[in-house]
Amino acid sequence: MSVSRVLAIWCMDWPAVAAAAAAGLLPTSPVAVMLANRVIACSASARAAGVRRGLRRREAQARCPELHVATADPARDARHFENVTAAVDDLVPRAEVLRPGLLVLPVRGAARYFGSEQAAAERLVDAVAAAGTECQVGIADRLPTAVFAARAGRIVEPGKDAVFLSALSIRQLATEPSLAAPGREDLADLLWRMGIRNIGQFAALSRADVASRFGADAVAAHRLARAEPSRGPSGREPPPELDAVMDCDPPIDRVDAAAFAGRSLACELHRSLEGSGVGCTRLAIHAVTANGEELNRVWRCAEPLTEDATADRVRWQLDGWLNRRNPNDRPTAPITVLRLHPVEVVSAEALQLPLWGPPVKMTDSAYRALVRVQGLLGPEAVQVPVLSGGRGPAERITLTPLGDEPVPWADPSQPWPGQLPEPSPTVLLDDPVEVLDGEGNPVRVTGRGLFSAEPARLAAPGRDGRLSWWAGPWPVDERWWDPDRKAGRTARAQVLLDGDPGQAMLLCYRQRRWYLEGIYE
Amino acid sequence: MSLDQRRLDRAEQVEHLRHKIAAISGKVGPGRRGEGSSNDVLPELESLLPLPELSPASGWYPQTERLPTALSRGTVAVLSGARSLPLSMVAAVTAAGGHAAIVGQPDVGLLAAVEMGADLSRIAVIPEPGADPVEVAAVLMDGMDLVVLGLGGRTVPATRARAVVARARQKGCTLLVAGGDWQGASARLEARVSGYEMTCGSGGRISRVRLAMRARGRSLGSVHAVGG
Repeated sequence: MSVSRVLAIWCMDWPAVAAAAAAGLLPTSPVAVMLANRVIACSASARAAGVRRGLRRREAQARCPELHVATADPARDARHFENVTAAVDDLVPRAEVLRPGLLVLPVRGAARYFGSEQAAAERLVDAVAAAGTECQVGIADRLPTAVFAARAGRIVEPGKDAVFLSALSIRQLATEPSLAAPGREDLADLLWRMGIRNIGQFAALSRADVASRFGADAVAAHRLARAEPSRGPSGREPPPELDAVMDCDPPIDRVDAAAFAGRSLACELHRSLEGSGVGCTRLAIHAVTANGEELNRVWRCAEPLTEDATADRVRWQLDGWLNRRNPNDRPTAPITVLRLHPVEVVSAEALQLPLWGPPVKMTDSAYRALVRVQGLLGPEAVQVPVLSGGRGPAERITLTPLGDEPVPWADPSQPWPGQLPEPSPTVLLDDPVEVLDGEGNPVRVTGRGLFSAEPARLAAPGRDGRLSWWAGPWPVDERWWDPDRKAGRTARAQVLLDGDPGQAMLLCYRQRRWYLEGIYE
Repeated sequence: MSLDQRRLDRAEQVEHLRHKIAAISGKVGPGRRGEGSSNDVLPELESLLPLPELSPASGWYPQTERLPTALSRGTVAVLSGARSLPLSMVAAVTAAGGHAAIVGQPDVGLLAAVEMGADLSRIAVIPEPGADPVEVAAVLMDGMDLVVLGLGGRTVPATRARAVVARARQKGCTLLVAGGDWQGASARLEARVSGYEMTCGSGGRISRVRLAMRARGRSLGSVHAVGG
């Protein structure tokens, strides 16, 4: 008989541990979790102070005055348990979470890998302890027995499940909510009153008698008590592998070979994407050369990539890598492994493509030329401007990478009082400058939005000069509600450097400093 | 092979050679825009790229000394001086339905281009073109009608320039080089601010920038003097 042994990991008082972690308390501090004014879980230190399950809040606080009381929150329990699950998954994959605080997993592979069941259990306890939680481990033939074994902290020998269970109290049948149907407490109570004190006595009853007298849940409990075969752990399936990988033989060192590779790889990727009914909006192209160098680039797109677009991107990317201008940056050996990894996928229903044409107003050839440049320089290098709301000339244009949705920083259709009228400066800068008055003292903008003195001179590296004209200041009254905003007024002014015809500039006063924001030329 | 056939071949050959000559001279013949569906989009851009007609209403006021009306498509021109000049050309091209890319000018004020009538959805900006901006510009010529290339003080030697010029001519894309030198450029345009106009009164501000422009070179359209 092939027996797949089961390992259970039980974290004691999990709701209390999660509540302590959420409140930032030490694991040793007394914590009680309340539901409907009754304690449903408490930490070991609270239990030592006399707190018990089922106590009222006031009574619990009377027994342990420093008790931290939290309300029950299944979401919090599950959230904090994710760390433990991840730690266990790192060591042994496909663990099944029965409830937050209780994990089961098939032990066979782990036992073989770590040498013995004992060693596997020790490694798992260590891993969970590294995640910041204490736990107990139990191993048995059957899943329910393993859970009881974990509560006892024991490894039950193969075939001895029924022996181990027979000594347990009949009340234990109802202690684990994930293994019991809602009416199990009544059943345990009834069996107790009938004189059946341990699980062994219950298991000795005939199945027909149990079924005819106590109902379906009792039959389930009876199977459990006899350690009869039940379901095994069913861990979460790893997500389907969507990557398309190609081992290039012969290795790719020319662009035309790369084009062929890209075409077939794109075809493979799109078959697997179609198979799972998703589209790819962010694609990572990964290449390994014969010398072990790894090249990586992620492409982003506002709309899912078609097969042709994927093939083009692979070709451009390989072209970019193989033909870098700077020979030192080029890979030192031909490419041997090529991998396409869909980093971000969207389900087919979530896609809403416009009815006509691409979302951008560009022609195909222009768009393709820009995407090629992205292949040379990276996806962030090509930016598309879009009008945005704002007051300064730099704020009113938002640049987004080509392919991303062009979302302005702020709504341009709002009124934006204080916006500078036309014309705007053709050169945008952000250089600190000094504005001085006739005596050489710095000019500020006062709280009333006026110059503290008449500006007479501009001092900045390379841009020193007398001012022949100035206008402003025009105060900008924005974000006064924002606590992050630095103190002081913000205002803009136009100045004209002396000369024929001189140089007109836009200055911005913020955080008690002047900045040269733009030049009109 | 029959005689007719041979004559036909010959006629085809002549036609083919004519096309080649036309393409090389860059003045007539079907450029990239001359064929297919794009023909109806940009008929006026077929061979000449219009220089901006800056109307006084737009706030940008050209006070020109010698104003060329157009720049041949597929040429390389070196710009110097005021930045309004390349921006106004970007505005003119995109307003007419063409595409423009601005390479290597991270400080460009695109809002000014919008005020001159540019269509932002047809503009792409490559602020940091890396170590070789000329290469990026050459790639962009495939699909763009106008590429503004900021060289950042570099000089492109004649050997390198020749290949890019040939590509520009073949693709029908005009390359405007700013902030550097391009040896053997067929046109040089210089713009400078000739004056500012301010609104009067207490709330005075700059309302117009007057530009003076000077052009010299081979591939300019009809050049006429305008009193400034």
